[in-house]
Amino acid sequence: MSFKRLAITFSFVTFLLYVTLILSLLYFYRGSLFLEILFSERTLFSIRLSIITATIATLLSMFFAIPSAYALSRYNFFGRQFVDTVLELPMIVSPVALGAMVLIFFNTPAGLAIQEQGIQFVFTVYGILIAQFITTAGIATRLVKAAMDEIPQRYEEVAKTLGASPSKAFFNVTLPLSKNGIIAASILTWAKALGEFGATITIAGSMAMKTETIPVAIFMRLASADIEGTVVLVLILIGIGLSILYAVRLFTAKTPYA
Amino acid sequence: MAHIKLKHISKYVLSDVNLEIEDKELLVLVGPNGAGKSTLLNVIAGLTDYRGEVFFDEKKMDQVPPHKRGVGYLFQDLALFPHLNVSSNIAYGLKVQGYPEKVIKKRVEALLDALHIGGLRERYPHNLSGGEKQRVAIARAIAPFQKILLLDEPLSGLDPQTSKYLRTELCVLLKRLEITSVFVIHDLLGAEEMADRIAIIHKGQIEQLATPNDIFFSPRTDIVSEFIGMPNILNCDHCHILSTGLVEVVSGDMSIILPYEGSSIKKLAIPPHDIYISDTKPPGPALNRYKGIITEILPINSTIRVRVAIGSNNLLTELQKSAFDEMNLDVGKEVYVIVKLRRLRYVEP
Repeated sequence: MSFKRLAITFSFVTFLLYVTLILSLLYFYRGSLFLEILFSERTLFSIRLSIITATIATLLSMFFAIPSAYALSRYNFFGRQFVDTVLELPMIVSPVALGAMVLIFFNTPAGLAIQEQGIQFVFTVYGILIAQFITTAGIATRLVKAAMDEIPQRYEEVAKTLGASPSKAFFNVTLPLSKNGIIAASILTWAKALGEFGATITIAGSMAMKTETIPVAIFMRLASADIEGTVVLVLILIGIGLSILYAVRLFTAKTPYA
Repeated sequence: MAHIKLKHISKYVLSDVNLEIEDKELLVLVGPNGAGKSTLLNVIAGLTDYRGEVFFDEKKMDQVPPHKRGVGYLFQDLALFPHLNVSSNIAYGLKVQGYPEKVIKKRVEALLDALHIGGLRERYPHNLSGGEKQRVAIARAIAPFQKILLLDEPLSGLDPQTSKYLRTELCVLLKRLEITSVFVIHDLLGAEEMADRIAIIHKGQIEQLATPNDIFFSPRTDIVSEFIGMPNILNCDHCHILSTGLVEVVSGDMSIILPYEGSSIKKLAIPPHDIYISDTKPPGPALNRYKGIITEILPINSTIRVRVAIGSNNLLTELQKSAFDEMNLDVGKEVYVIVKLRRLRYVEP
């Protein structure tokens, strides 16, 4: 077998693995249940909650990720390597562990003070937000940095010699040029936040009609042996996820000037 | 006014460089790769940190950030903003500096006209040819009324003909706009035609800063002499006008006939690679052909330098090793010498 065929075979084996998993859902699929579960008040709440929290968490993540990524991409500063490494924490530590760390923090004097004086995070929607934020911020930074690394620094140097301050060069040149990468990073961050489970259930719990996001709802249905209900929710999550990935493909398609 | 003074500049390969560039001067910075040419431009533009002092019109610029130095910079890779069309690229500097819309429009139109790119105003960089990109980059660099322009081999990616044409056009434009310019080139070809003065830089040191003629006829160091191709300098004893545009120059025992519009020549410079030698008598008229005796043979990598005595003159010639091997040349052997007049330089009295 030629190397080319071997490589293509591997890609198809991986593809079939996922397709098999999706097709296996159909074994327990009950068409009559689909619309009933989809339009039930509890599912619609979960969908709405998931979309709203994922959107806010993504905005928060990008708000921090864009300047952080720019700093890591362009400047050499003391502790840069350390910051870069710590940002990978969400990728190497499981979401449950991250959630546990947040929960532990809110039980320290500082965390208790924040909760007493400010916002209550544990077992609230704010808990979902912080869970999604801590699991996505590092990844969002990494994705935006990759997009900015692609933009030659020379453009900013040119902008500066034409009279643009560093901030103007950033907003007029670097940001527009990395626009596609930032949009793609935002969409992937949103998809990651939408599917977040471990940290969410650890911090915000699983209260129906209060902190139950779609992944949490899937877990609760599975825990109560409601396989048909689980299948419907999984299909909803897959539907949203695949649409998002398709959108990423569209946005990351090469622009004429890239 | 835009007079540049660099004092004791050190950065990477640059070591204690001192350089003064006069107002409205076109200084060509020449040197091999890695000599420190681009670093020196980056120091002037403030794009890198450095040790030493930079003055513009006696004003210390070391703490002034690049965007406040008023220095245009034409990079080798041009770096046209890919997300902006030609007009917006040219207008960029004016916009960020807060010029009124009316001034921006007028300036952009003037530059589009001056560089003959009026028809390209709506095009994006990816739809431009190499030569068109160069023109747009030039227009963008000088648009915000910069008094200093740094050019880092901006024409290197073009074919020789377009490059020569654009270089000439650019020089005319820079002189018309009275911009102090530092033009980096890695070889001498073209530098001599455009420069007010040439600075030869080698391993981070300015070896010589002088007019093109002074560089050719009075190279200060062996490095400069080597860099300019070790030209043979001939002192002219007599000069006879043969007809309009044609003179006979007598130097020692040599008589050279060359095209020249003036009446007298003091010195001639002939590059070694424009002097051919042959062990057999070459065919054709005996114009600018001589008999000589080989006095020295110096192998240098793939070329061989051969010194030939023609009467009282000692000419250095350069030939490929393969050509040398074909002829049975040795010290003391008589050879025929042919002088080509391709890159002749002369000093007038």
